[in-house]
Amino acid sequence: MAEVSLERVTESERAGFLTTELRIQIGTILGVWASWEALAQSGLFYRDIVPSSLRVFAAMWRHLTEAEFYHHLGVTSYEVLVGFAIGSIAGIGLGILFGVRRFLGRVMDGYILALAPAPKVVFLPILMVVFGIGVGSKIAMAALSAFFPVVLSTVAGMHLINPTLIRVGKMFNASPWQMVTKVYLPSLVLPVVTGLRLGLGVAIIGTLVAEIKLAKAGLGFLAIQNYELFRIPEMYSVIIIIFALAMGANAIMTKLTDRLTQRGMPKVEVSGAA
Amino acid sequence: MAGMLEVRNLSKHYRRDDGTGVHAVDDVSLSVAEGEFVSVIGPSGCGKSTLFSVIGGLVGDYEGDVVVDGQVVRGTHRDIGMVFQEESTFPWRTTLENVAFPLEVAGMPKAEREEMARRFVRLVGLEGFEDRYPSELSGGMKQRTAIARTLAFSPKIMLMDEPFGALDEQTRMLLGDKILQIWRELKQTTLLITHNITEAVQLSDRVVVMSFRPGRIKEIIPIDLPRPRSSEIIATDQFGRYVGAIWQLLREEASRGMVEAENV
Ligand SMILES: Nc1ncnc2c1ncn2[C@@H]1O[C@H](COP(=O)(O)OP(=O)(O)OP(=O)(O)O)[C@@H](O)[C@H]1O
Ligand SMILES: [Mg+2]
Repeated sequence: MAEVSLERVTESERAGFLTTELRIQIGTILGVWASWEALAQSGLFYRDIVPSSLRVFAAMWRHLTEAEFYHHLGVTSYEVLVGFAIGSIAGIGLGILFGVRRFLGRVMDGYILALAPAPKVVFLPILMVVFGIGVGSKIAMAALSAFFPVVLSTVAGMHLINPTLIRVGKMFNASPWQMVTKVYLPSLVLPVVTGLRLGLGVAIIGTLVAEIKLAKAGLGFLAIQNYELFRIPEMYSVIIIIFALAMGANAIMTKLTDRLTQRGMPKVEVSGAA
Repeated sequence: MAGMLEVRNLSKHYRRDDGTGVHAVDDVSLSVAEGEFVSVIGPSGCGKSTLFSVIGGLVGDYEGDVVVDGQVVRGTHRDIGMVFQEESTFPWRTTLENVAFPLEVAGMPKAEREEMARRFVRLVGLEGFEDRYPSELSGGMKQRTAIARTLAFSPKIMLMDEPFGALDEQTRMLLGDKILQIWRELKQTTLLITHNITEAVQLSDRVVVMSFRPGRIKEIIPIDLPRPRSSEIIATDQFGRYVGAIWQLLREEASRGMVEAENV
């Protein structure tokens, strides 16, 4: 049984590497790069606004070979991961609670739906006051950002749980703990994983925004510091690195999602249950 | 002699928050002997599923008693297994894992429960599909998975709520034969809800005909046909007379249901 699911994963991995989508994506990046370089060489813009990609790569190399860069990378990763973990655990826990306690859920729904689409950056000044301008406020920002998509998708998932499956569990005399592990959590995998994916994305955004606003370290801080010192190629190189890291994080999340959702849970089935 | 399962003066009202409610089951009494096969037939919405949910302990707040083996029971009970009207397999479990679910819940070691689950998978004719997920199975196969899962629970009493409701006539006929074969093999006391008169007569020792809402027992008809039976029995005269008699009883109720539906 375990072998079957492992095989499926490798198969999707193999297919994932050579898809047409990926080829088009790589092609697009190469196209953008070529246009950039053409623009830089044309001399239409001041050379520091559109620097040659060669200068950007040189700057990137300088960053990547100095220890200081890794310090900033470490700080950002730490802030994102800790904040994401706090926000997700709170989101899943409260989401299940709101799903089980329907009345509390209905009361909280109003607040959550009102706050979810609001840009969390408005809370940044408060978080800075409460947690300081260091790592604390960045973690808080990441946690706050990640919380909303995770809690929303968990609550949605709780509403979607097939009541017949709950009856099946009870009929076979499953204990409350068995109900959670064998009925609730497996039913929630898909919506929660979707929420986690969105949550990680906004946690990264929240952290970087906070770092760019006011910080002592981190990749966002490094980018804005380069800007203030007018080291434009360096600034671009940090932005590219941030992009690459965000894409990498998303790719890892996608792979985890696929692995979790592989086991007989086609996406259509959950949306069909609505 | 007291039955294996006895229902005494059972009534159930569903109440809503706004004060309105539905009187789903009204004063139902029924005694089912050990090893007996009883079908329950009645118009849609007459409270058949409600009756089963109360017996199975999944719906509370009712009047009357459910008695299993001489003991009044409340809540779910080890000796009662149900197969639900709705699709009920766990989509994240394979056929084998689905069937093994009640054994897993009971704490049986993995190797042992898989071997036992395999037996029931074979019994419902799903060998070769052990490692498929429900999304890869037909509707009839999913229902057979659900039946095998409840059989694996080894209840003394099986409550089956229209397990073949959504299937075509030919398939349900063949599955009816399968149910009879399993029933002969396991000798479980079985209650089956059905909309299908032929199915009820073919399978049962007695057919309980229920009235339109609130659900009452209108009549209980003993089926005096020789066993073992197969789907071929439906060609006989005697079979036809039973079907005719039950249809007479049901027609009144069904038309009452239609009138009410039009007046709503
Ligand atoms: N959980 C519930 N809350 C409120 N009313 C309910 C509930 N379940 C069923 N009812 C009502 O009780 C009545 C009987 O429903 P039930 O499902 O028992 O009928 P049924 O005989 O099984 O119908 P069918 O043959 O269509 O499955 C219906 O009017 C239904 O609307
Ligand atoms: Mg029903």
